Amino acid sequence: MITVLLILHGILAVFLLGAITHQTLGVFWPRHPGQTDFIANARGIRPHIYAQAIVILYVVEFTLGSLLYPSYRVISRPPLEELRILYIIGLFEVKENFAAIVLAMLPAYWYFWKKYPEARTARAWMTAILFATVWYNFVAGHLVNNARGLL
Amino acid sequence: MDKIATRAFPAFAAGFAAFYAPAYCFTGANSTFTWPLFTYFPAADEWYWGLVAGNDTLGPPMWWYGWIASAAIVGLIAAVIALLLPARATEKFWTTALWAVPIAAFLFLANWELVWFIQGWNPRWFGF
Repeated sequence: MITVLLILHGILAVFLLGAITHQTLGVFWPRHPGQTDFIANARGIRPHIYAQAIVILYVVEFTLGSLLYPSYRVISRPPLEELRILYIIGLFEVKENFAAIVLAMLPAYWYFWKKYPEARTARAWMTAILFATVWYNFVAGHLVNNARGLL
Repeated sequence: MDKIATRAFPAFAAGFAAFYAPAYCFTGANSTFTWPLFTYFPAADEWYWGLVAGNDTLGPPMWWYGWIASAAIVGLIAAVIALLLPARATEKFWTTALWAVPIAAFLFLANWELVWFIQGWNPRWFGF
């Protein structure tokens, strides 16, 4: 069961990465008229379209991560502590802290993207924070799992 | 709804981050302040109110859920305070605090998290 949840956690993370990356590109590097190449098409989106999907995916990912966390604490972390591979534990600690603080930003993130178009600066900052968090958590999660998985 | 959300949601995020970062940094088995609302022991599958240290019987403690619960309460208090303050004068403040406080929290946390990456790192070098 834990393995199924872990794989689902990894698959949904890819969807979340795609959504937040498209939105970030759309905010900070929008496509200009006439640009038709592959990268320009990835940037040529309406960023607000992604907001709801990002919130839902983030909450689902956070819930899955919360369910997996006890197994990590009991199965994976003790051997890392015994072997003194502390940077792997650190990667996970940063991940859990990022995840929690950004979770609390989601109501404002959703509201500012859906209902408050005047707040462009706040929306851009929140998108950048979410982008950094999701990418960091994705990479760190894989490194931790590679170092000491749940099996 | 709009006037409430533009202040309450950012205040919640700022209050949450402002509590969560010191909660993570200052929680220890001998902490004098109970930062997490509860402690979970995954090996024993048992929950206890407040800060409880790990032991041989219960196994390692998990405070993360408890920090989130405590921080959510502080976030709600911040949201209520934001609604009690005059809207016109404070809306800009909350819109900035929404992203500035989490970034400050990340930097505060980074100083403490470096102990995992740099041998001999002392987070109290900065006086916290």
